[in-house]
Amino acid sequence: MKAASSPTAAAPWRHRALGAALLLALLAAWEWTARHAGLSALVLPAPSAVAAALWTGLRSGYFLPHLGATLQALGLGLAGGGAAGLLTGAALAESPLLERVLRPYVVVSQVVPKLALAPLFVLWFGFGIASTALITGLICFFPLMENTLTGLRQADPQRLQLFRMLGATRWQTLLRLKLPIALPAILAGLRMAVVLALVGAVVGEFIGASRGLGAVIIASQGMMDTTLMFAALALIAAIGLLLYQATLLFERWLLRAHAGTD
Amino acid sequence: MQVPMHSPVHARADAAPSSLPFLEIEAASFAYPGRPPAVDGVRWRVGAGELHCLVGRSGCGKTTLLQLAAGLLRPQSGAVRLQGGPVPAPGPWLGYMFQAPTLLDWRSVIDNVLLPVSLQRSPQPRDVERAGALLEQLGLAGHAQRHPRQLSGGQQSRVALARALVLEPALLLLDEPFAALDAITRADLQDDLLRTCRRHGTTVLFVTHDITEAVYLGDRIAVLHAGRVVADIGVDLPAPRTQAMRHEAPFNHLCARVRAAMDGVDGMGAAA
Repeated sequence: MKAASSPTAAAPWRHRALGAALLLALLAAWEWTARHAGLSALVLPAPSAVAAALWTGLRSGYFLPHLGATLQALGLGLAGGGAAGLLTGAALAESPLLERVLRPYVVVSQVVPKLALAPLFVLWFGFGIASTALITGLICFFPLMENTLTGLRQADPQRLQLFRMLGATRWQTLLRLKLPIALPAILAGLRMAVVLALVGAVVGEFIGASRGLGAVIIASQGMMDTTLMFAALALIAAIGLLLYQATLLFERWLLRAHAGTD
Repeated sequence: MQVPMHSPVHARADAAPSSLPFLEIEAASFAYPGRPPAVDGVRWRVGAGELHCLVGRSGCGKTTLLQLAAGLLRPQSGAVRLQGGPVPAPGPWLGYMFQAPTLLDWRSVIDNVLLPVSLQRSPQPRDVERAGALLEQLGLAGHAQRHPRQLSGGQQSRVALARALVLEPALLLLDEPFAALDAITRADLQDDLLRTCRRHGTTVLFVTHDITEAVYLGDRIAVLHAGRVVADIGVDLPAPRTQAMRHEAPFNHLCARVRAAMDGVDGMGAAA
């Protein structure tokens, strides 16, 4: 993870160039193996073939509805599950009673593997976006709830006493002291949720949808079209990378005051 | 500890300050559950505009006494009165400074100073002006927009002092605020504190374990041991204080008296 490192001098450029060179070398080795090792395209398609399939699929618009479906499930699940996790974490952190009463249920709901619930969701909510978004949301919920709960409790007794002494209301203490202190922890939870959300959406589509990149993978398995499968995987990886980078940027923007250098 | 109820402390405290008591602690006691009393029948009076120091070793009840004065704790027996009435809930009348600066790292210096204001209402240009003036008095004029982590320890303590003073509180309570600073920075801050409080007529109760600090700052010193006031020492050094006084005989004589009061108690404790 290179979250903390700030690209400053010339050194990071050299690192980046090295990374690109490694990628090219790996791709070349893969291409060579696929062509000369006598492997069938069914087992290992060459990267050039995957790139061609990806390009055709994108240009013909074949991938678009699937891409849209996956992004939609991802977005809905992340927003819903994330918001629910944030609010539940805050409620549990603020009310010890609520925590004592609800904690066992929350833990049980987390111990049950969410993906194992997918068939049940399909049964209840039908085949499609509702089920996959629900699974994604459920997966996003826990890291945000847990990190919010932990983060909001990190305020030190002296600063809490300071706020009490200044006559701050409970709401002011939450918004102006506990939340800013909890922000790094909450954002770490968000980063985790973003990565898990993609897994949730794709695997949810394996079981519960006919559209989406997960569904494309299952379909390409049925058609024995390994090249298409790799193309879908490449798209999923691209979404994951972009989302992760976006989250990092968002995090850096929100924490700019915490860093203390302007 | 067997200090008799009619110890000389009481008589002395009754006779002590001639000015109107601003803060009055009347035989106040407080014990945390399952422990011996942290504050045990303390009587003390602080006149308006005076600066009193509480000295004593760690765990002698200094901080608890300060929290009683702030109204953060209620005495289990006895009373604490402010201008003759009960101590109101903490609010703009009270400034408090902790051992650590306890600044909000994600807010700028000026926002930190204005925190007590912004928790009550949205700061007016007047408030910003006053905060700026305080920062200037404390030598931080150019640092208003910086963040606490960019400042040195002494500068952070100054920001905390400005924050404690921004609402011009009638009572300022300080709990070993300069304990973590080097000697020279501490001396500068002591002068800043004296100057600023004299200017605003603030009544101050200052907790410290540093004898020279207590003598330099205080109009009167209470030596605490095991929750009781064991000595009440008036400081008759001329005001304003200057750093040169530290090396003169009266100053050192007073330091020796405070020290003797602290040591005398230890002897009694060992005997009991």
